[in-house]
Amino acid sequence: MKNLDSVFAAYIVGWGVFFVFYLTIAKRTSNLRAELDRLKSSLPRAK
Amino acid sequence: MTKRIILGAVAILLVIVAAYASFFIAPQERTMGLIQRIFYFHAATAWAGEMTFFVCFLANLLYVWKRQPKYDWLGVSSAEVGLACITVVLITGPIWAHPVWGIWWTWDARLTSTFVLWLLYVSYLLLRTLIEEPERRALLSALFGIFAFLDVPLVFFSIRWWRTQHPQPVIMGGSGSGLDPTMSKVFFFSVLAMHVLAAFLIVERYVLEKMKSEFDFLAREVEAQ
Amino acid sequence: MSLFSNAAVLLGKELRTEFRSRELLTTTVVFILVVLILFSFAISPTTEESREFGPGLLWLAILFAASLMLQPCFLREQTNDTLSSLRLAVSDPFSIFLAKLIANTLFLLLTELIMLPFFAIFYNVPVLPEFHWLLLVLFLGSLGISIAGTALSAISAQARMRELLLPLLLLPLLTPVLVVSATVTVGLFEREPIVKGKGIAFLAVFDVVFLTALWLFGEYLLEE
Repeated sequence: MKNLDSVFAAYIVGWGVFFVFYLTIAKRTSNLRAELDRLKSSLPRAK
Repeated sequence: MTKRIILGAVAILLVIVAAYASFFIAPQERTMGLIQRIFYFHAATAWAGEMTFFVCFLANLLYVWKRQPKYDWLGVSSAEVGLACITVVLITGPIWAHPVWGIWWTWDARLTSTFVLWLLYVSYLLLRTLIEEPERRALLSALFGIFAFLDVPLVFFSIRWWRTQHPQPVIMGGSGSGLDPTMSKVFFFSVLAMHVLAAFLIVERYVLEKMKSEFDFLAREVEAQ
Repeated sequence: MSLFSNAAVLLGKELRTEFRSRELLTTTVVFILVVLILFSFAISPTTEESREFGPGLLWLAILFAASLMLQPCFLREQTNDTLSSLRLAVSDPFSIFLAKLIANTLFLLLTELIMLPFFAIFYNVPVLPEFHWLLLVLFLGSLGISIAGTALSAISAQARMRELLLPLLLLPLLTPVLVVSATVTVGLFEREPIVKGKGIAFLAVFDVVFLTALWLFGEYLLEE
């Protein structure tokens, strides 16, 4: 089929951008949650 | 948390169904053939991007008025998601254009305006990285965001007028080029799907921003001790 | 009305400050001149090409020059923290903006008028015939650049990397001004009456929109 590779490329790149965007958010969220828990546990100790 | 998961699942489902519809339900377009099907994804994402920028504008206005951090969080989230949408539009556009018209890029009215829009929101996000103090950053970026949004219609009109002075090939079918009814249905379904996806991404980004703010607050508390 | 009288007093201050040293004006004029010459080296235009592309390049040069010229606008107030005194002195913070944007418009216009003979000679452009229209376009375009530039320089003055930030914020925002001013200016030298009316009306709309936005939101730009 003519241009099928272009159509695939468009969808893959398009979804790819959103997927990568979501992955970076998810990763930063989980890292931050770990840091936040660490910080929260250090707080009552200091008090 | 569960609401977010449901939203994400619904978004992915809608996107997959929209893609299926784009390929198997929508009729084949006469002149361009298979490649025209990119339109459903490309144009639907463009509409979703424009909606998220409008949400960003509202968030900016609300922040300047109420000064509540949640509006700042919403502003940056919708700006980033909007930028992702526009990036997809600017990439899928040339991928569509090249096999059909033989060129990757042309300075036609819509492409050019979309590119300027992209630049404006990149500037908005860059501005945010250059101001450290959170309240100042929120206020100044909200104000720039307001100016940028007011500029958007001016950009579109000026470039469209400019192009009538120097006509260029109109790529990707002018607006309102009359869609076949099945095509319309598939298109509007794709628009819905992309809006739900954008909403999901905004929520996720918002949660991250909110957590960041919590973290900074706690970090300062710990430091104070 | 105290808004205008305050603005007038502040405008006087802005003008006096500049005309004492004239450094901003001279450097801006030289900068535009250099940019225009460099354009010729880069493009090596024929006479027709000069006439066709010249106005666009002129406006581009004006935009670049303006984004440099507008840097000191609020930075100057930071050195001795004069901004807080200014804000205390006036009832309406918009008068500070009004004074600065009028001053910036005048500086830009003056620069452009000084540049015009050089531009006409180097690019072989007949500037005299439609001079009144040219003046109008230069005025409305420069006003638009100043309004947006003054607002954004208040923002960039409070951020890091401000020398790079101001052009980055300003240039995309001013795309409508660049596109329309350049098109109208080209049209003037080719005597296309239709182009004039719509383009000039558009520039006026741009100026009104951003002036209103600045009036509504200006005080927040100056918040401590």
